[in-house]
Amino acid sequence: MRGEGVQVDFAETTATSTGAKASRKRRSANRMPVWMLFPTLFLLLLIIVVPFLIAVYTSLIDLNQYTLIHWVRAPFVGLGNFIDALKQGSALGASALRSVWVSVSFSLVTTAIITPVGVMAALMVNKPFRGRKWIRALFLLPYVLPVFVIALVWRLLFLNGTGLIDQVLSWLHIANKSTYWLIGPHTFWAMVIADAWGSWPFIYLMVLAALQGISTDQYESAYMDGAGPVRSFFSITVPNIRSILGLAVLLSTLNHFNNFTLPFIMFGTPPSPQADVLPLNVYITSFQTFNFGLGAAMSIITLIIMMIPAIFYIRMLKIGEGATR
Amino acid sequence: MTQSKTLVRIRFAGIVILGLIIIIPFLYMVIMSLTPDSEVGDGTLFPSHWAWGNYVTMWSNIGLGQYLMNSVIISAATGFLATVVAFGAAYVISRFQFRGRKVFLYSLITMQTVPQVMMLLPLFIVIVFIQQAFGIRLVGQYYTIVITYLTFALPFACWLLISYFENIPIDLEEAAQVDGATRLQLLFRVVLPLMLPGMVVAFVFSFLLSWGDVLFASVLTSNTTRTIGVGLQAFLSAGDAGGGVYWGQLMAASLTSGIPIVVIFLLLQRYILGGLTSGAVKS
Repeated sequence: MRGEGVQVDFAETTATSTGAKASRKRRSANRMPVWMLFPTLFLLLLIIVVPFLIAVYTSLIDLNQYTLIHWVRAPFVGLGNFIDALKQGSALGASALRSVWVSVSFSLVTTAIITPVGVMAALMVNKPFRGRKWIRALFLLPYVLPVFVIALVWRLLFLNGTGLIDQVLSWLHIANKSTYWLIGPHTFWAMVIADAWGSWPFIYLMVLAALQGISTDQYESAYMDGAGPVRSFFSITVPNIRSILGLAVLLSTLNHFNNFTLPFIMFGTPPSPQADVLPLNVYITSFQTFNFGLGAAMSIITLIIMMIPAIFYIRMLKIGEGATR
Repeated sequence: MTQSKTLVRIRFAGIVILGLIIIIPFLYMVIMSLTPDSEVGDGTLFPSHWAWGNYVTMWSNIGLGQYLMNSVIISAATGFLATVVAFGAAYVISRFQFRGRKVFLYSLITMQTVPQVMMLLPLFIVIVFIQQAFGIRLVGQYYTIVITYLTFALPFACWLLISYFENIPIDLEEAAQVDGATRLQLLFRVVLPLMLPGMVVAFVFSFLLSWGDVLFASVLTSNTTRTIGVGLQAFLSAGDAGGGVYWGQLMAASLTSGIPIVVIFLLLQRYILGGLTSGAVKS
């Protein structure tokens, strides 16, 4: 919005402005300060690309805390770690295969819950009303709190017998006072609820930005043509928010798949197998049982699964078609 | 435009329900932070008296001051480094056409989708290997954790600054060049002032991402460099292992570490949300 303002002012004051094509040409004509790119390139290579390759290599060797000092000479086991990952997992946790299942269902279920909530919240505050500013600030609150704070609160809320949730549920005669949310089969749902509480504003924010971009002219002309609110919702609102909603859903799926902090703090280590998401399983395998080879193999399995939504995401961004977005 | 009465009512009901869902856990946190530790354990919903002492004892008992300080130092250093380093790359990427530009943009996005735990593993192996081979202490140093935080902060800051650059017209820079400005004059007199809001957002975002991290910090910090997230987690699991958790103090400490972040976010809301919807943010 501010950017546009600058652009307009400027177009009025410069007579030499000659359109995008000419300016692109002129850009390449003057010399590029390559040195400004070097610090970023160097750092990205050093801390991302090289470690990534090391992780791939580690997944193929038998590396633990004893062989770490002779890291380069650790025995090569080929795909052995991958076979182990799918078979048994670490001594403490679930097998990687089980964790894949937990992680996939966790990110899909959470996204399925927060998407309608986020869309509805955005629709509710899209049109001005008194006190809208405060409601918008309130809606941001769960998103803005650090994840570790959210995890701590929900751990307290889910405490067996004495937590608020158990007390309310037993008062309503819905569930037993000893439901055990933080251990056993209910952990999955405890994790879903806590994560949904903290992450729905992401969908809300993205959709709200799309809604604010729709000009009121569209609604007015639809109204003139006799379209009711339902009709104009499906013919104007839905097509206008569809692409950004798709992007938001994909990003949210990716983010939930990567969520480590929430289950780590809510359940401690090791968690019940029902809540043993892949990042947590990799963490325990690598940093608590020090089986680095197995951990690396499991993280590569994670990466491969994440590539499915990631490829869709990258394609949606349409890099290189003019702008970077 | 006229809105029908039913729609207004539905909207009101929806806002109230959603508001309650947000408020209740938050209010619970506030009340519990003012409840004596023993009463939280008993499941009291209305404390017998307001235990303001939780907000005093937490400083000595949890060691909150040190953790908060570590978090501020580490997050600020990460935010500053990521923003300054990314600025150069973003300038070149958005102002020049060259071979490999597209490849660079694609890899920036790909880097942001790589799971963080996958980055931590090899970094940890290399760090421990260097420690053992050369006898240098790296785990528990501020700079070690800051460098590893750049694995997520740097690609993110690059992407954010590139999208800010796209919104700034190039004409002003061209006019300055016609007037004979050198590269450095151009950067400091023309580009930097225009990009300042974008750089503030990049700094704040990197700061917030670092503040919220528990994964890297739980492996790479020591007792003296622990960040707030790991500190609270350690306090929780220590209490869980024996003696019981001091929930009252823990909630007080959670609020104390969360509220400054909420305030920063709400103050800079307008700028931050613009960066968020530019499409590259992790939740």
